[in-house]
Amino acid sequence: MGDAVKLSAAQVASDAWIEGVESPEFKTLIDAKQRSIVPMIVIYVVGYLGLSVLAGFGRGILGTKVLGAVNLGFALIAGNYVMSWILAVVYARISANRHDPLVKVVVNKVHASGGGR
Amino acid sequence: MNLITVAMFAAILLISLGITAWAARRTRTTVDFYAAGKGLTAAQNGFALAGDWCSAAAFLGFTGLTALYGMDGALYAVGPLVAFCTVLFLIAEPLRNTGTYTIGDVIMYRMRRPPALAAAIVGTIVINLAYLIPQMAGAGLLVKLLFGFRYDVSVVLVGLGMIIYVAVGGMLATSWVQIIKAVLMLSAGAIILFLALAGVGFDPLVFFASAEAKAGPSFLLPGNLLKNSFDEVSLGLGYMLGLAGLPHVMTRFYTVPDATTARRSVIWVMFLAGAFFACTTIFGLAAVHYLGPEALRVGNPGGNLTLPLLAQYLGGGKDTVGGQLMLGFVSAVAVATILAVVAGLTLATSGAVANDLYVNLFKKGKVEEHQQVLVARITSVLVGAIATLLGILAEGVNVAVLVILAICIAASANFPVLVLSLFWRRFNTGGVIGGMALGLISSVGLALIGPAYLGANAIWPLVNPTVVAFPLGILGAVFGSLLAGRNHEHEKRFGEVTFRIQTGLRSNHS
Repeated sequence: MGDAVKLSAAQVASDAWIEGVESPEFKTLIDAKQRSIVPMIVIYVVGYLGLSVLAGFGRGILGTKVLGAVNLGFALIAGNYVMSWILAVVYARISANRHDPLVKVVVNKVHASGGGR
Repeated sequence: MNLITVAMFAAILLISLGITAWAARRTRTTVDFYAAGKGLTAAQNGFALAGDWCSAAAFLGFTGLTALYGMDGALYAVGPLVAFCTVLFLIAEPLRNTGTYTIGDVIMYRMRRPPALAAAIVGTIVINLAYLIPQMAGAGLLVKLLFGFRYDVSVVLVGLGMIIYVAVGGMLATSWVQIIKAVLMLSAGAIILFLALAGVGFDPLVFFASAEAKAGPSFLLPGNLLKNSFDEVSLGLGYMLGLAGLPHVMTRFYTVPDATTARRSVIWVMFLAGAFFACTTIFGLAAVHYLGPEALRVGNPGGNLTLPLLAQYLGGGKDTVGGQLMLGFVSAVAVATILAVVAGLTLATSGAVANDLYVNLFKKGKVEEHQQVLVARITSVLVGAIATLLGILAEGVNVAVLVILAICIAASANFPVLVLSLFWRRFNTGGVIGGMALGLISSVGLALIGPAYLGANAIWPLVNPTVVAFPLGILGAVFGSLLAGRNHEHEKRFGEVTFRIQTGLRSNHS
């Protein structure tokens, strides 16, 4: 954490970012982020908007009883809570274990090439 | 007047004023005033986010909606949690890496053109006022109910509280007021949940069966509140996109030292606030089970008194010490909730006026540090005074439309502009203006001719126009960008923007 504080406060020489942006390390970072974030976005958009659309247009379907008086609608609502929490934890782990080290590599490279001040 | 409420509320007030005095001594620079010195931890900011995002509409409203309308209330409650997925994946870290105090900072950093900043300022101020006025009106009603003051006196008292927190203690005091409120709210929720479940042998399924038996077979189906099918979709879309466009919540990400902490604070709020939202659904059904649907319809406008009534019942009933204690506790937490939310709104509005409009737009950033802080404090007093005045004028007016409007504008105008600024190379100042204008005009226009405002005489069928206004906002943003023409220098700079979004590194000329 201490490192990150210093890094985010740091500035780099005016054109150092060009080198950083075009570096293979930065492309690796962007690719890694897209690979993990895009599927997660698809999951929650389908899961949540799907529920909203069913609430509007599939009222009979949501009324199907699944457990005692609890119907499919309430089960899907509960599912949305669980989905959000699981996605949050998964995203946090992937970010900390995979993305953050890649960010560090990019930043260190910019600093090593004399861009840092 | 409930003496226990008064005593508890007095205690909350004294503690928060003490914190304000403590925070005042630590608030000297603009970064202190707007961003609490960027020194909050992930857990602190997570609690503060929970305090900021759970307004009285969540604390009292979701329980009431579930008790009166069944599943639609539960749909209202789950959206505000899922909304944080959008914030977590797309917004929190980029926002922390690119901005300083406001959403306007992000737009200005990307566009570097005054008209783009001006559009962002308009969006922020309209959304915040639309959110703030119903909060003030709600606060007036609640304080009137609890303490027996006149409505206007009640609004002024709440206004004074929020002005003192914000103008004197800045973001540090505001954050701690929100943290304390979140802790109180979660404690109240845990106690009520335990007592409610204890009454049915810890089997929540009993509530579902009982609610269905007492309130009718259609109670557990969607559509009891939102009759129009498209309104259900609008509700979902509005939450999913709107939270990320609400300036008073997004500015909280500037109070932490870096993007990693911003991310971790979102995880905190998702568990804290999400658990509370889930509980409101249980509370609503429990209220039907314990109190019966008839008792909940009498003298309970919008269902807002459901939670206090349920707490009183679970404490032992109307004439018992336990009942009085629980009612007093929940009522005091409700007032603390409103104070915490209006303080956050006042601070975010002051940021848009003092930092974006005065310092960056009028003075081109050439204002001395101590003067900026002074301007920010004066602005927050003015913003607070205007909000108080508008709150008094709003007495008796149907303000429910404004809450929907705030979320709708946030989703249809602010969200497209913010996301495209961060991620679309060809997005430009024309797009900012186009998206903001079309999103804002279509939201306001459609809300004003809809049933929330005109009732039975509505010309437009939807209460919440997000399902139409959001596509229009995107359209405005895209066509605005294309019409403004390409600027290769501007597009080339997008590489620098992307680099900063991902790494937090700034080049020294930006």
